[in-house]
Amino acid sequence: MILNIRSFARLLLINTLYIGVLSVAELAQAQMDHSSSKASSMPAKPSNTCQGFGLECATAATPFFAPDGKLLLAWTANGVVSVAQSVDLGKTLAAAVQIAEHGKSLDAGSDARPQITADKQGNIFLAYAFFKDTNWNAQINTTRSTDGGKSFTSPETLVKDGSSQRFPSVLIKPDNSIFITWIDKRLVAIAKQGGEKRLGGSIAYSSSQDGGKTFETERFANENSCECCRIGGSLDPQGNPVVAYRAIFPRGIRDQATQVIIAKRAEPIRRVADDDWKTDACPHHGPSIAISGSGKFHVAWYTQGSKRSGVFYANSANQGVTYSKPSRVGADGTSVARPYLLAMGQQVWLVWKEFDGSKSSVYLKESKDDGNTWSTPKLLASTAGYSDHPLLLSRGNQAFLSWLTRDDGYQLLSVGQKQ
Amino acid sequence: MKQLWLALLSALSLSFAGSALADTSSLKPYQAGDWKAITKAANGEPLAIHFWGVTCPACVKEMPQWGQFLKANPNAKVVFIQVDDVSTENILKMLNKAGLEKVNSYYVVAPFDERLRYEIDPKWYGETPTTILIDKNGKATRKTGLVDFQKLSIALKAKS
Repeated sequence: MILNIRSFARLLLINTLYIGVLSVAELAQAQMDHSSSKASSMPAKPSNTCQGFGLECATAATPFFAPDGKLLLAWTANGVVSVAQSVDLGKTLAAAVQIAEHGKSLDAGSDARPQITADKQGNIFLAYAFFKDTNWNAQINTTRSTDGGKSFTSPETLVKDGSSQRFPSVLIKPDNSIFITWIDKRLVAIAKQGGEKRLGGSIAYSSSQDGGKTFETERFANENSCECCRIGGSLDPQGNPVVAYRAIFPRGIRDQATQVIIAKRAEPIRRVADDDWKTDACPHHGPSIAISGSGKFHVAWYTQGSKRSGVFYANSANQGVTYSKPSRVGADGTSVARPYLLAMGQQVWLVWKEFDGSKSSVYLKESKDDGNTWSTPKLLASTAGYSDHPLLLSRGNQAFLSWLTRDDGYQLLSVGQKQ
Repeated sequence: MKQLWLALLSALSLSFAGSALADTSSLKPYQAGDWKAITKAANGEPLAIHFWGVTCPACVKEMPQWGQFLKANPNAKVVFIQVDDVSTENILKMLNKAGLEKVNSYYVVAPFDERLRYEIDPKWYGETPTTILIDKNGKATRKTGLVDFQKLSIALKAKS
């Protein structure tokens, strides 16, 4: 009831202010030019959004388990990137360290999230993107901590390039090196300079052998990718990164692809499924990949293709050369979104989000035989307010769901164990 | 008590939306519950609601075409809703650049998530650009990607 009163009062305020602005605008109608648009460019910002920089106001939170078992959590809230640690599986967090403040320039799009990882020595590495100019070119910044997360180096740009780099995705390899991949727009920028009409971006990648201090010269895995979807990444049993992303195939078809990155070389682009999604739009809905103990690739993705539409799962036992027939995730007709995968040994966990008109819920299904058969979906958690994507991660043999919700807080739930 | 508030609220929303189609350059906040008022405000005339984001390259490319379209079709009813979490200053800048400074424009106040989209179209995942066309009978058609402006001008002819 109290909430109702408050939200009503806010709406009332917004409407009143809006009417106020409008009448000023109407008065100025005779000279409707920059001055009036300026006057109306400052509509009272409704205050129903969370205002702080803490986790309670975050739009995206990314977890990572440090080698000592501590949970590292990086989040973005109102333009600020922060990190905090937890020794009790997320129940309580130690004081947060603010890494950077970019205000409205921080890339807080629905598929963007800060990236965090730590090496065997406990050195922490972070990457995030922000918009560096008025043409919405983004820059990826990285920062490190060598004192267990007490302090971080001042953020530095990952690459020196005037165009746009966005959607970093980070993996720590068994040899302690850091693999980073991102959407890079320099080739599109060059093409445009040459008068060529070109949309999309490219999948670029690099590695660091010194904890993220320096990176090798970046390379391209695929020159044609969607420019606004996160990249999925996982390590195969040999420790090679495998990326999954929305590629652009001939005729402007934006379907999923996977690619193995072997020692400074990208293997051929493998198409996950022929969904035939011809679009120039920004889906903000990238895929997820997990590789099981047998080396099988498990991929889940979203599409609105002419051949299938919704969220789907497929796997490949031959490094992506061929994929199984895609199977639908969740019930047809429901708003299934944001699939995420985790694999350990022969076990595979798949979570996704559904919205029923009043609450968002996270569902899980599990396979104990490397993706051949699956359990029936199980409801893990629900929330009425804003929520982030559901994410999966492991600590030792245990699998966890990480889910940030506005109304019910940050949740780290144990969802299973490697058998 | 609750009913009274709801009544008051809907009265306010109506007045809000009633003036929403006036030719002003104001950029208004869009939040949950606004969809009905915006679509009702067309009074049975065909209406297009264009969802765009300043960080979406395809949208940025298309916006000047919307500017030209409205110049050529001044009576077409179009509402613009900007869905990225950016400053109003940046939204206005892009609208101005596209010649859309006087159009009926909104920006989302909270993240443009499944809760906000549900009342618009429960089957829509929020790709940008997306245009929803509501015909004079209230039937909505959603189109993701670039718009065919020739088709749009026919669809938006008020008395057809």
